[in-house]
Amino acid sequence: MILSIVLLIVFSSFAHAEWRFEAETGAFYDSNLSNSDRSADVRDDWAWKSQISAGNSLQLTRDLRMNLGADLRGEVWDRFGAFNTIGPGASAGLRYRFGLGRQAPWVLVENRFGYDRFQDTAQSGNDNMFNLQAGIALSDRIALEGGYAFESFVAPDDFYDRQVHSANVRMVFDVTSSLQVTVGYTYREGDVISYAVPPRPDIAPFSIEREDEDEFGQPLRTAYKLLGRTNAVSFSVAYQLMKYASVQLGYEYAITTHDPLQYENHLVQANVAFAY
Amino acid sequence: MRLSRGFVLLNVLVFAGDLLGGSLEITVKDDKGRPVSDAVAYAAATGAASAAPRKQAVVDQRDKQFVPYVTPVQVGTAVIFPNSDNIRHHVYSFSSAKKFELPLYSGVPTQPVVFDKVGFVTLGCNIHDWMIAYVAVLPTPHFQATRQDGRAVLKDLPAGQYTVQVWHPALKGQPEALAQRVDVGGSTKNLLFTLPLKHDLRAKRAPGLTTGGYR
Repeated sequence: MILSIVLLIVFSSFAHAEWRFEAETGAFYDSNLSNSDRSADVRDDWAWKSQISAGNSLQLTRDLRMNLGADLRGEVWDRFGAFNTIGPGASAGLRYRFGLGRQAPWVLVENRFGYDRFQDTAQSGNDNMFNLQAGIALSDRIALEGGYAFESFVAPDDFYDRQVHSANVRMVFDVTSSLQVTVGYTYREGDVISYAVPPRPDIAPFSIEREDEDEFGQPLRTAYKLLGRTNAVSFSVAYQLMKYASVQLGYEYAITTHDPLQYENHLVQANVAFAY
Repeated sequence: MRLSRGFVLLNVLVFAGDLLGGSLEITVKDDKGRPVSDAVAYAAATGAASAAPRKQAVVDQRDKQFVPYVTPVQVGTAVIFPNSDNIRHHVYSFSSAKKFELPLYSGVPTQPVVFDKVGFVTLGCNIHDWMIAYVAVLPTPHFQATRQDGRAVLKDLPAGQYTVQVWHPALKGQPEALAQRVDVGGSTKNLLFTLPLKHDLRAKRAPGLTTGGYR
């Protein structure tokens, strides 16, 4: 009975479904793509990242919305092509808003399932991301958002399987009607892969090794999969160019540890985003 | 003799003009001298009772925007909110002058909303957070919103003394502070208002900004 009512609401909402098409493209820099702790092992690189997506928003009730979407993501790295990726995905989410208007608190539950095909095909696999997010407007111009995410990546080669839990909080500030600034903090805990020229007896006891990896050329490295804890702070700026387009600049500083291993990443991205 | 007849005729015409009333041509600028559009200029006759509202007003929803951005109406006017998009909208207001909600709908709502209290009403859409518009509910039938050139013309005002005010969604303070008194009769008078305006901080519709209202 309940299922029938839900299905009835969903199907009646399809008649008024709202399509949304988005595209995003831009440059991305990782100061430590190899996730290495020793400076001699660190390799940085630039990538060109793009994403297109189509989504459908179904307002089921006054407060409840269902989002369904499909996307295609890709990234091409300048020097280390082994990390070039392309992958389709599909997502579904429910957002509930506790009341009327843009300042009402909301909670979002969504899941995205995708396939990431790496140029180094051993790394390819299925990616599943569960996301629970909530937000509240503190004023007309300031919003606070936070959430929890769980990512599970499963590859045919078990070494590349990853499971990561993360929690995040961010403050979104409308500086002007066209300029938005976001400051955020993320804590991540889960599998990371760190590359180093062997031998590394200090890392080996708490990691799984895969030797003679050539992703970063010569000398060959060992990939160490281990449980890492990451603290990351981020800052981003979005500026509206026109009704359907904006530019976005972002920076994240992340530090990952598993005593005695510790490495840092500086991530920079510059995007142009379109939505219709 | 012919001259005195002409003189009498001229006086009659002037007197008749006073009875027929006149017009006010109002120019609205910001404090940097730039023309201000979407300001509402309105004139209330001193001591005169207002006539009943004459017609309905319409605030449309097209391409996920309210059209027009500012709608002046006389108090007591019924406003209809047709939805010209092929998706649903959900119009609401929290303003003390008119609190209402038109839950998820398409097409034209069966009942208009009557704005029965003087004040300025902010409209929103619960689905598309960037959608915003205003209804200025006024105690007089003599009003007009300024065009892109910052001008508005109030025509066919009966002769008399008027208090003229201008309101804008971004106005700092109250319109009463800038009120001007003017005698209307027979001819067109020009008035200039210089408005102190706040920065426009409306959330806009763009990717990456306020999550586009699509979270």
